[in-house]
Amino acid sequence: MEILRSIYEVAGFIVLIALGVAALEGYFYYHFKCHDKPWFLPVALAAFPAAAVVAAGAVLGGYQFRLWFYFLAAEALIAAAFRYAVKGRHTVPYLLLAPAFVGLALLLVYPFVFEVYLSFHDLKLTTIMSWKNTGTLPFVGLRQYFDVFTTSPLSEVTFWALLLRTLVWTFTNVFFHVAGGFALALLLNNAIRFKGFYRTLLVVPWAMPQVVAVLAMRGEFHSQNGFVNIVISKLLEVFPFLASLGVAPVQWLSDYPLLTCTIINVWLGIPFMMVVILGGLQSISSSYYDAADIDGASYFQKLRFITLPLIKPVLMPAVTLGTVWTFNNINVIYLVTGQAGGTEQADILVSALYKAAFTYNRYSYSAAFAIVVFALLFFISVTYLHGFDAAKEER
Amino acid sequence: MHRIKKFFSALREDAAAVMRDPIQRRKFFKYLLIHLVVVTAALVCIYPLLRIFSVSLRPGDKLFSTDLSLIPDNATFVAYASLLKDTMFLRWLWNSLLITLATSFIGVSLASTAAYAFSRFRFPGKKAGLILLLSSQMIPAGMLILPLFLMIMKLKLMNTYLGMIIAYSVSSLPFSIWILKGYYDTIPRSLEEAALVDGTSQVGAFWRIILPLSTPALSIAFLFNFTTAWNEYLVARVVLFSSKQYTWTLGLFELQGQYITQWGMFAAGSMLVTIPVLAVFLYSSKWLISGLTLGSVKG
Repeated sequence: MEILRSIYEVAGFIVLIALGVAALEGYFYYHFKCHDKPWFLPVALAAFPAAAVVAAGAVLGGYQFRLWFYFLAAEALIAAAFRYAVKGRHTVPYLLLAPAFVGLALLLVYPFVFEVYLSFHDLKLTTIMSWKNTGTLPFVGLRQYFDVFTTSPLSEVTFWALLLRTLVWTFTNVFFHVAGGFALALLLNNAIRFKGFYRTLLVVPWAMPQVVAVLAMRGEFHSQNGFVNIVISKLLEVFPFLASLGVAPVQWLSDYPLLTCTIINVWLGIPFMMVVILGGLQSISSSYYDAADIDGASYFQKLRFITLPLIKPVLMPAVTLGTVWTFNNINVIYLVTGQAGGTEQADILVSALYKAAFTYNRYSYSAAFAIVVFALLFFISVTYLHGFDAAKEER
Repeated sequence: MHRIKKFFSALREDAAAVMRDPIQRRKFFKYLLIHLVVVTAALVCIYPLLRIFSVSLRPGDKLFSTDLSLIPDNATFVAYASLLKDTMFLRWLWNSLLITLATSFIGVSLASTAAYAFSRFRFPGKKAGLILLLSSQMIPAGMLILPLFLMIMKLKLMNTYLGMIIAYSVSSLPFSIWILKGYYDTIPRSLEEAALVDGTSQVGAFWRIILPLSTPALSIAFLFNFTTAWNEYLVARVVLFSSKQYTWTLGLFELQGQYITQWGMFAAGSMLVTIPVLAVFLYSSKWLISGLTLGSVKG
C-alpha cells in the first residue's frame, strides 16, 4: 500500500512538472508570436501576473498583496522586451532552452543569490523559527565575513589553517592521481595479455558507489580489525626487528585522519585519471614512435617529446576537473571523520563549511564562508580557464 | 594425459628458446614485470570489495576476527537474511530508486532540448549560456546544500521524496547538456535539412530524427544522472530524518555507525548495492568516458 502511495506521490509530482513546463512554453510562445498584436500588452499585463499570484499562493501558502506589484512590474518589463527588443526572433532555440534554464535559475542561481543574501544577515538556530514564520532576518552587514577570517568555523581550527590544508590536500591528491594514473596507463598501453580484464579490475574503485567505497576503506583503517593494522601486526610477528624501526599498528582514524583520507582519496581517484590518460595514449598514432625509433630516441626522450605534448589536450581538462573535484570533496572527509564529535584535524574548507552549517547550525556564518570559498575557487578556475579558453568551445 | 605432457614439454622448449635469445629474454622479463605491477595494482583496487564480500559471509560471532581469508570458515548468508528481515533495507532501496528515477527522467528531458538549442542554433546569449554551464561546475557542491535545505524547509518538503527530487533534479543538468551537445554536434545537419525540405518543422525534426539517433548519448546522460543521484549522500543527510524515508546511502552509514557497527549487515548491504552499480558502470564506462572528454578535447 505504501509503495503504491509513494509511486502516486512521485508520479503526481512529475505530472505537475510537465504541466509547469507546458505553461512556461505557452507563456513564451504567446510572447514570441503575439508581440506585434494590438491586444498583446493588455492581455499579458492582465493574465500573467494574476496567474503568477495564484501560483505563488498555492505553493507558498497564503495570499500576499505585495506580490501583485512585483509580478506586474516583471511582466511589464518582459512584455516590453519582447515587443521592442526580441521582436519574435530566435523563437525555437529559446523555447527549447526555457525549461532547462528556468530549472537552473530556480535551483542553481536563486540558491546562490539567496546564499549571498544570507551571508549579510543573521540566521542561526535561535533566529530560524522567527524566520520561518515572518520571513525577515536581522541585517548584520559584513560581520559574518569578518567572523569567517577571525573565528573558527568548527571549534578550534582557523580559516587560514583550513585554507593551507585544502591547498596541500588538493595538490597531493591531484599529483598522486595523475602520477598513478599515468604510470598505470603507460603499463596498460603495452600489448599485454588480459589488458581488458586488468582495465576492468583497475576501475573498480571509481565504479563502486562512493559511499560504499569510502566506508569500506574506513573499515580497513580501523585500529583493531582493519586490514592495514592486521598486516602490520602480522609483519611484526614474522620480522620482529621492524618494531625497533618504529613500525607499529597505528590509530589511523584518530591520530592520522588526514593521511587516512588522502590515502583513501588517492585510491579512489587514480582510476579516472588512468582511463582518461589511457584513452589519450591510444589515440596517439604509432608512426610518431616509429619515426623516433629510427632516429634512435630513448624511451624517456619519446615520453618527453612525443607522449607528453600529445597527451596534453586530454590531460589538461582532466586535471582541471580533478582539481575542482578534489577541492570540493566533502564526501571522503565527512564519511571518514564522521559527524558531530568527530575529529577536525582532517577537515578541509568545504567539509568545514558543511559541518558549520549542519553540525553547528551556523547558517549565515557558513553562507559567508561558502561565498569566500567560492570566490577562491572561482579565482583559481578563471586563471585556469584562460589557459584553454572556454569560448573556443563555441562553434 | 599424454596431451598435457606434450603441452608442457612444448612449453618448456619454448621457454628455453626464449631464455637463450637475449632480446627475447629481455622482452620476457619486461612483460613479466609489467604483469606483476599491474596485478598488484589490480589487487589493491579490488581488495576492499573482496573483503566486504568476505565479511558479509562471516557468521555473527566471527565478525571482528582478524582472519584474512576470502571465504571464512562456516560461511553463511545470515547477514543477508537479517539485513532484509530486521532492517528497512528494501524500503531504503525503494526510496532511492524512486527518487533517482524521477530525477534522472526530469534531468534528461530538460537537458535533451536545451542541448539541441546549443548544438544547432545561433542566438544571442549562446556563448554566455555555455560559459554559465561550465562555470556552474565550479560551484562547490557543499555551497548550494544550505540554501536548498532552507528552500525545502520553507516549502514544507522536508523528509519527503519531492524535496529530494527538487534538490537533485538540476545538479547534473549542466553536465548532461554538455554531453548531449557534444553528441548532437556529431550528427550531420543534412539529415534534418532533408526532413525540413520534406515539410516537417524544426521541432518535428528534433523529435523524429535527432532524438531517436541519439539514444546512446541519452542513455549515457540518463546513467550519469542516475548514478549521481543514486550515490548521493550529503543532501540526503540534511533533508531526510526519519529512517523510513532514508535512501540506502543513509541507511548504510547508519549501519556502520560511529560506535556500534553492524559490520555484517553493513557488508551485506554494500554487496547488494555495489554489484548492480558495478555491472552497469563497467558496461557503460566506455561511452561515459568518451562523453567526459568529448566536450573538452575539441576546441
